[in-house]
Amino acid sequence: MPVTVELPKEKWNGKVREITLGATPAQGGTRTSTVTVGGETTLPFLHFEGSIPHRPALAVEMQDVPPQDWSTTLLEAWDTAASDPVSWAKKAVELGADALAVKLRGTHPERQNRSAAEAAETVKAILGAVGVPLIVYGPEVAEKDNEVLVAVAEAAAGERLALGNCEDKNYRTIVAGALAHGHLVVAKTPIDVNLAKQLNILISDMGLPLDRVLMDPTTGALGYGIEYTYSVMERLRLAALMGDSMTQQPMICTVGEESWRQKESKVKDGVPSLWGDFAGRGPLWEMATAMALLQSGADILVLRHPKTIKTMRETIDKLMSS
Amino acid sequence: MQEEKTVTKEARPGNSKAIVIFKPFGTVANVEVGTLLLDAAQLAGVEVNSPCGAQGRCGRCKVLVEYGEVARRSNPKLSSADESQGYALACQTVIKGDVVLVVPTKEEIQRRPAIETAAEKIALPFVCDWRREPAIQKLYLEIPPPSLADNTNDLDRLKRELAKRLGIKDLVVSLPMLRGLSRTLREADWRVTVVLDMRNWLPGGSIPPRLIGLLPDDETSTNLGLAVDIGTTSVVVYLVDFITGKVVDTASAYNAQVSCGEDVISRIIYSQRRDGLNHLQRLVIKTINDLITELAGHNHIHADDINEVSVAGNTTMTHVFLGLDPKYIREEPYIPTMTVPPRVSAGDLGLAINPNASVYCMPAVGSYVGGDITSGVLSSGLFQTDRLTLFIDVGTNGEMVLGTKDWLITCACSAGPAFEGGGVRHGMRAAAGAIEDIWISPQNYEPTYRVINNISPAGICGSGLIDLLAEMFVTGVIDKAGKIRRELPTPRVRMGDHGPEYIVAWAAETASGNNIVITEADINNLIRAKAAVYAGLSVLCNSVGAKLADVEQILIGGAFGQYINVEKAIQIGLLPDLPWEKFHYLGNTSALGAYTALLCKDMRAAVVDIARKMTYLELSADNSFMNEYTSALFMPHTNLEASLR
Repeated sequence: MPVTVELPKEKWNGKVREITLGATPAQGGTRTSTVTVGGETTLPFLHFEGSIPHRPALAVEMQDVPPQDWSTTLLEAWDTAASDPVSWAKKAVELGADALAVKLRGTHPERQNRSAAEAAETVKAILGAVGVPLIVYGPEVAEKDNEVLVAVAEAAAGERLALGNCEDKNYRTIVAGALAHGHLVVAKTPIDVNLAKQLNILISDMGLPLDRVLMDPTTGALGYGIEYTYSVMERLRLAALMGDSMTQQPMICTVGEESWRQKESKVKDGVPSLWGDFAGRGPLWEMATAMALLQSGADILVLRHPKTIKTMRETIDKLMSS
Repeated sequence: MQEEKTVTKEARPGNSKAIVIFKPFGTVANVEVGTLLLDAAQLAGVEVNSPCGAQGRCGRCKVLVEYGEVARRSNPKLSSADESQGYALACQTVIKGDVVLVVPTKEEIQRRPAIETAAEKIALPFVCDWRREPAIQKLYLEIPPPSLADNTNDLDRLKRELAKRLGIKDLVVSLPMLRGLSRTLREADWRVTVVLDMRNWLPGGSIPPRLIGLLPDDETSTNLGLAVDIGTTSVVVYLVDFITGKVVDTASAYNAQVSCGEDVISRIIYSQRRDGLNHLQRLVIKTINDLITELAGHNHIHADDINEVSVAGNTTMTHVFLGLDPKYIREEPYIPTMTVPPRVSAGDLGLAINPNASVYCMPAVGSYVGGDITSGVLSSGLFQTDRLTLFIDVGTNGEMVLGTKDWLITCACSAGPAFEGGGVRHGMRAAAGAIEDIWISPQNYEPTYRVINNISPAGICGSGLIDLLAEMFVTGVIDKAGKIRRELPTPRVRMGDHGPEYIVAWAAETASGNNIVITEADINNLIRAKAAVYAGLSVLCNSVGAKLADVEQILIGGAFGQYINVEKAIQIGLLPDLPWEKFHYLGNTSALGAYTALLCKDMRAAVVDIARKMTYLELSADNSFMNEYTSALFMPHTNLEASLR
């Protein structure tokens, strides 16, 4: 005899904030498409329980200068496109990027040490070449970040860029730049619920509306601390759904950067044969990491390999349709 | 003319010896080559400060080698300039030959004018109102002398008289007491005052009272006891009159052990040195004896008339006071020798009072919740209340107890020395010259401050630091994470040699002629200290399923507690955000508990019962503590919603 089992449903009071990256001409920018994330009233993909109004977005990571330390698997995949930021941006959009994560590595004092003005020019050129929203990262050196990101903020006023990373030690200048020129910020904290919340409070205290703050809880790749990231993201999301206002920011995960860091994705020769095909190993590592973090509440995945972009797009399609 | 003291030490054949002269005292020590300067000083009876317990970490034992050869272990606390001038760290330097040392004269330590020194203000805690019954009783006896017809021996004769007067069947008499018995009785012509310790004697019970004194004539008009609080930093004594039940006088001084380490951990480390434990014990006994001498002089009494002592101290202090090795208190799993100390005779400890007097130490709960806290639970009345009560003793260790008359749970968190001025660049103890109150103008960020004894400021003490942190927070000099806002339009905020800083007092205003500042690193240390306390409170409440808001009253004890400004402490999130009327200052709860136990013999049994009843929560084994701690590393704390509710 068939038995009807009613699935238990959790009733949450809280909702993740809806955040839009990019601004169309009507909104004061020049983007042809924008990306809205957040708005969930339930845990990831539990469509029967609450609403998930926006699909997780895919941002493709690229650099202003050709990367020096990337795996050959990645360099081969991007080939000549990676030699120039504009061509890289166009190729990424062709491959299905919802947004671009532009890393201004060339401004690093120990790399090319490019000036803030040059960096701003690069961002302007990318904005001119593609229509998707941008997430812009400085060289991740506090002093230079401040300089570069403020120049970028000014040059791209009104575009609703996401500027990163704001950390507890240097959030003030970047937040001030975002406030002045109509941008968003990425608030990054080291895998801790309280620290994530504290930084959101500090940023909010400066007067930046919370619908302009993304949080990056710091990603640990598969085999390299993913369980910590998973657990912290899950706790942040549970707190958000339980109504804790300062944890209701959509989460961005730098999956590509983290999962391409380690030996498994970088070293071809002299590794155990059990590790299998080198060309496939890196993308699989990235996919597995992305897949897990999607289930812990990631709203934006920052990816590196074209194959990962394709697979994650298909995966999200399925997860959103069920 | 300086007094010359010479201390010699047995030389083993073949070992060369050296003469060490300590200036300006002129003391001379004769030691083996290879002896540590600090050991030589100890041998010669010269006090050299060693706040870190001779670990070479604090650099405060600096001495000048005026003549002779020494071997220094290199140490970051000694700059090459210091070294070229001849300075050496006494705990890191050994003697190679005859040397002449100059020991810096100890900084004058002045006590903050103590608020509760007026003895008449010390009230007997309410818990004792219904049963004031000291254990020490004096009785004047006129004993019929022996004769050929009545040839009972002296002791039985005394017992016979006591049986007649008090119904006492037996008496415990120690051999030393017995030795003087016959002579005293006869010299006093059989008119004597007996001093009886009835502590263990229950009416109708089987444990007999103890004879602790036999005095010629009627001496029943005075009968004194002593309540002692042995703090890690200071020692407080109350002279108690058993006849009136009142505190006759009080005195306090720095615990002389401070020169061997400022916190319990440093003391334990010091105790492991050769003769270290004995030295520490001698120092605390000397501190107490000096206070007894002071009280005896002021009040025209004989110290010999002090017939009982009640001592409250943390577990380490109690161990050292009794000469017990505190080593294992510091090592996981943190086990003390005992929690209920036995009765000890004053003479055995070297206390300069009636040598037969009993000395009782308050029982502990564990290694980090000691007799000072059980004493506080006793004197605060926490163990008798129906209302959910939180008792906090804030110091280097923050100890807290939550409960009612039916249950008690306790924990200890290591707040670090920040609230006592340690680990803060211009922090200092609450002594003359310490800034103790600060206000900052929200318009121009200019501070106004008050200094103890109204002299030029030399530093900032714990209460001043809490004030400063709160003022900087509410005026926006720092953000909620404790970062200084460098963009503020005031010259007081600037980038200093040690990172961003706020200038509290300009060089021209200060005693040293240097700016008094607070740096971001200092602020971090303070936030960590307050976070440890707050996290401890949160975990303690969570562990019994209560919310901080459920707490009906908060009792603040401990020597430092009375100086905490509740408003400011709430602003920075040191104390939970509850209505002010829930907070009560109790003063020195540790000394008050010792006093209570001294006066009411039943209270000694009660406090042992309290100690047994208290559940000890080990925070290092509690996995929610780290989470609560990180949450509290923010001002007032991260859980904003909870605080608004």
